[in-house]
Amino acid sequence: MKTNLTPIISALTRQRGVRGSLLVDETDGVIIDATLHVGMKGPAFAALAASLYRKARLSADAAGLGGVTFLRLRATEGHVCAAGKNEMVLVIVADARANIGLIRMEMLKALERLVI
Amino acid sequence: MISVAEPWVEAPLKRFVDDSRVTFALLIYPSGQVLGQSGFSRAVDVMSAAALAAGIYATVRELGRTLDGRGFRDVFHAGAKRRLYLAEAATPRGTCLFLTVFDEQSSLGLVQLYFEELRTSLAQMKVQVPDAAPMLDENFEVELNRNLAMLFGRAPGRRSITPTS
Repeated sequence: MKTNLTPIISALTRQRGVRGSLLVDETDGVIIDATLHVGMKGPAFAALAASLYRKARLSADAAGLGGVTFLRLRATEGHVCAAGKNEMVLVIVADARANIGLIRMEMLKALERLVI
Repeated sequence: MISVAEPWVEAPLKRFVDDSRVTFALLIYPSGQVLGQSGFSRAVDVMSAAALAAGIYATVRELGRTLDGRGFRDVFHAGAKRRLYLAEAATPRGTCLFLTVFDEQSSLGLVQLYFEELRTSLAQMKVQVPDAAPMLDENFEVELNRNLAMLFGRAPGRRSITPTS
């Protein structure tokens, strides 16, 4: 189902190597909007990614480092990137050939548009 | 701490609680009789939660039939600090209800994710049921009290159910 957030979310998947982008409620770990490649388990991934981001945010806070601006998880076959604001987390799944610097910039710009 | 009235629910219930980090978990028959629980320390709390969960389930099932033509499968309620999730699960002993309460240590998404695994595990259990007496009869209260006593270690197990998987 398309929402008014869909164009912003789906624009991120046009970046090279991006397999999916999701906007997730950080507290509930459920998808607000998403554009995913076929075969991705969206709800499961959203729940786990939101939990990961939340724990990272709490860890940074406990360490006195302030808020998490950007989280990147590097796996053998790709990356998971997350950025959050106002209890929402924008999550990207990208394969190993993706340009993470570019994706990071696009994610932060998208986040500003999503949470105004 | 997990306690069960029927041993075949112990492993899947423990896995769910360990993975999802919920505060309370309760597996019951729709009649309100208890199969297993985690997090409760008093029998009276289990009894109250089971009765209320059975009531909620009966209500939302009828509400679902009225609005949607079929009963709702699960219910989520967000409180100020704790959240409640109630859903049904098919088991070899028939449809059961699963009630869980969680706080900020978990999330609805995680609970739903691990509940699907629990639901699959319960559905695939192969259980021998030598005593197939109906649960809802004139002995309901006796059965309920016996199950609660078993859960809290005050009575020996009534049913000899052997997990085969």
